Amino acid sequence: MRFSLDDEQGLVVQTIKRFSDRDLRGWAADADRAGAPPDKLTAMGGELGFFIDAVPAEHDGMLEGAYAHATRALRGFELGRGCAGLAALLETNVEPALAVGRWGSPAAKQALFGSLASGGLATFIFDSRAALDVVPEGDGVRVTGSLGPAPALGAASHVVLATRDLLLLVDASALTREAITPSGWRAAKWGTARVDARVAADFVIARDADAVRMVLAWSHVSLAARAAGVATASMEYAAQYATERVQFGQAIGTFESLIRLRDDAQTGAHAARLVALHAAWALDAGLPDAFDFASRARVLANDVVARATIDAVQIFGGYGFVNDYPVEKLMRDARPFEALHGDERFNRVLASKE
Amino acid sequence: MDLFHDSPMFNGVRQMLGAFAKQSIRPIATKHDLEESMPWDLMKMAQGFGLTQTAVLDGRKKLTGQDEDPDPKKPKSQSRISVVGSEELAYGCAGICLALGGSGLAASPVSRMGTTEQKEEFRKLLAGLDEKGHIKVAAMALSEPSTGSDISGLSTSARKDGDHWIIRGSKQWITNGQSAAVFVVWAQTEPAAGRAGVRGFIVARGTPGLIPGKKETKLGIRASETAQVHFEDVRVHTDMMLGAGSQGGLSDTKKMLDSTRPVVAAQAVGIARAAYDYLLDRVRGGTTRGTPLASHQHIMFELAEMNMEITASRLLAHRAAWLADHHQENVAEASMAKAHAARTAQHVTTRAMVLLGEEALQPGHPVEKWYRDAKIYDIFEGTGQIQRRIIAKHLTGTNPV
Ligand SMILES: Cc1cc2nc3c(=O)[nH]c(=O)nc-3n(C[C@H](O)[C@H](O)[C@H](O)COP(=O)(O)OP(=O)(O)OC[C@H]3O[C@@H](n4cnc5c(N)ncnc54)[C@H](O)[C@@H]3O)c2cc1C
Repeated sequence: MRFSLDDEQGLVVQTIKRFSDRDLRGWAADADRAGAPPDKLTAMGGELGFFIDAVPAEHDGMLEGAYAHATRALRGFELGRGCAGLAALLETNVEPALAVGRWGSPAAKQALFGSLASGGLATFIFDSRAALDVVPEGDGVRVTGSLGPAPALGAASHVVLATRDLLLLVDASALTREAITPSGWRAAKWGTARVDARVAADFVIARDADAVRMVLAWSHVSLAARAAGVATASMEYAAQYATERVQFGQAIGTFESLIRLRDDAQTGAHAARLVALHAAWALDAGLPDAFDFASRARVLANDVVARATIDAVQIFGGYGFVNDYPVEKLMRDARPFEALHGDERFNRVLASKE
Repeated sequence: MDLFHDSPMFNGVRQMLGAFAKQSIRPIATKHDLEESMPWDLMKMAQGFGLTQTAVLDGRKKLTGQDEDPDPKKPKSQSRISVVGSEELAYGCAGICLALGGSGLAASPVSRMGTTEQKEEFRKLLAGLDEKGHIKVAAMALSEPSTGSDISGLSTSARKDGDHWIIRGSKQWITNGQSAAVFVVWAQTEPAAGRAGVRGFIVARGTPGLIPGKKETKLGIRASETAQVHFEDVRVHTDMMLGAGSQGGLSDTKKMLDSTRPVVAAQAVGIARAAYDYLLDRVRGGTTRGTPLASHQHIMFELAEMNMEITASRLLAHRAAWLADHHQENVAEASMAKAHAARTAQHVTTRAMVLLGEEALQPGHPVEKWYRDAKIYDIFEGTGQIQRRIIAKHLTGTNPV
C-alpha cells in the first residue's frame, strides 16, 4: 500500500494549492458579497484546465484515456480550502461531461461538448426523493417537475439529470429558470427551475440504475474532498487566530477546551480527506465497492464540515459572527454539502431497505 | 418548584406574545434578515402593549395586568415573565426579539444600580421619537475589540476632571450601537483597583466625542443592529456614574448577567422550537418515495431527540429564572441553561437543515435563517466555554484553563 502521490498528482496539488491560497482565497470574500464569481475565474480556471478536463480530446476537451478521480479529489480538497462556491463552478462540468462521454449518443456528445468547448457550463442534478414525473413519450421520455436549488443551474446550458434509473441530458432552453443566491456558495450561480420537457431518445443517456449510481459516486467523492477542504480551511483560520487572541492573560489557543475543539476538527478533516481519496482510488480501480465508499465518504465529510465550521466560528467568538473574518462564510458554505443530492444518511437507510 | 404551567399570568404572557410572534413577527422576519434592517414600525407597535424599551425599569404591569409585590423579600415574577415571553418572541425571530429587547441590556444595570435621578434621566432619554420618527433605543457597551470574555481587561478609561469623567476607548459589537439614544458604557476608573475600578456611565447620544462606528454585517440575528462605538474624550457628569463605593463594579455586572442568561437561554429555545415545529409540520402528511415521512425512524427519532433537548433546555431556563425570582443564587443554573440551550439551538437547526435537504437552501428559507441565528447563543452574553468555566468553578472553586 502506498499513500504517496505520483508525479502528476504532486504537480496538480502544488499548482491548485497555490491557485487556491492566492487567488480563490483572495476572491472569496468579494465573490461571497457580490453573489457572483470574479470575471477572472473563467480565464484562470480555463488556463488551469478546469471546465473541459472531463471532455474527451476528440471533442476539443483535455481528457485522454481514463478520468482520474483520485487526482480530482486531491484537487477538490485544495479548492475547498480556497472557496467552496468558486470550487463548485470549477468542478460543475465534470459529472455531465463524464456521463455523456461514457454513455451519450453522438447527438448528446455534440450538444454538450459543443457548449462546454465554447465556455458553457453544465450541472448534474440528482432527484433524490424521486419527485419528478417521468413518463414515456415517443421513443424518449417526458419529465415534469422542479429542479434545484443547484449550483450552476442559474447559468448552465445543459443539465444532466438523474431520476430513478434514468440519466437525461436536458437542454436549458427546456427549463423555466430562476437564478437565486442562497447563503452558502453564494458565487456558484445557483438556480431553480421548472422542467416540462420531452427528452428525445438520443438524450436519454442511460437507462441503468448502475449508471446513476456511478455518476452519483463521482459527485460524492468530489463533494466529500471539497468538504474536507472547507473543514481544513476553517481550522487553519481558527488555529491561527487562536495563537493571536489573548484572553485572561493567555492565547485562547492554549485553553484545553479550544485545543480539543481544534484538534477534533482537524482529526475529522484528516479522516474525511483520506476516506474521500480512498473512494476516489476505488473508483479509478473499478472496484465494486467504490459506490458505497463514495457515499460513506460523503456522510463522514458532511458531519466533519458541519462541526468544524461551527467550531471555527466559536473559536473566533464575536469576530466569528461578523463578515470581516472568513469563518462565518465557511459556516454558511457547509450547508450545501449536506443538502445536495438529499440527506445522504437517509439515502443510505432507504437503500439498505430495498 | 412551580414550572409555570399552571400560572394564569405566565400563560397569559405566553399566549399573547406567542400570537404576536406568529402574526406580526414571523411575516416580516425574512425581509429584515435579508435587508439587515431594524423593524422600527413593529418596535413602535410593540410599545403599545408593554414591550417597551424601559420595561426592565418599569416592571411588566402593562404586559401582565398585575403589579409586582413591592416587598423586596417576596418572590418576583420578572425573570419568569421574561423567560416565557422571550421564548415566544424568538420563536417568531431571534433578531427581531433582540431588536425589541436589546435596550434591556442597558436598562438592567440602571435598574439594579441606578439612583432615582439616574433612572429618571434614562427614561427621559428614551422618551418620544427621534428625528426619523423611530422609537428610541439604548445600548450597553461593555465589550471591546480586545476584550470580550475577560471583561476585567477593559481598556476604556474614565478620568476624573472636576465634576466630570472623561471617557476614552472603543467598544465592539454593541447591540443598537449606531441608533442608541442612550448608552451605558463601562470604563476603568481606577486601573490599580482592577475589576473593582470598572464603572458604568449613562451617556446620551450627541454628547461630543461619542461616535457610533461601523455597523457589522453578521451571520445571523440581522434584524438587530451591531456596531462599534468610539468614545473620544467624552465628558460625563459624575451624577451619571452608576453605583457608589464598593457597589456598582464589575461583580454587579456579572450578577446582572446571571439574571439575563436564563432569558437568553429561552431565546435559544425559541429558535430551536421554531425549527422543530417547521420540521414536524413538514413531516405530517409528507411522503418520500411513497411512504409517509412520519413512518421513518430516521426522521422521527431525530424529532424525538429534538423534542427531548428542547424540553430539557426549557426546564433549565425555567429553573434558573425561578431561582432568580426567588432571590436564590443561580450562577451555575443560569450558565447551565444558557450553555444547554445554545447547544440545542445549534443542533436542532443544523439537523433540520440536513433533513430538509435541498429545499432549505432556498434564499429566505426560515430554517436556514434559524441555523444562522442560532450560533449567536454560544457567543454573546458569555460564550459556551465561559458558561462551562462558570459551572466548573462552581464545582471545585478552581478556574480550569
Ligand atoms: C451579535 C452580537 C451582539 C453583541 N452585543 C453586545 C452588547 O450589546 N454589548 C456588549 O458589551 N457586548 C456585546 N457583544 C459582545 C459579546 O458579548 C462578545 O463577543 C462575547 O463576550 C465573546 O467575546 P469575544 O468575542 O471577545 O471572544 P473571546 O473572548 O476572544 O473568545 C474567543 C474564543 O475563546 C474562548 N475563550 C475565551 N476565554 C476562554 C477560557 N477562559 N477558556 C476557554 N475558552 C475561552 C471563547 O469561548 C471563544 O471560543 C455582542 C456580540 C455579538 C456577536
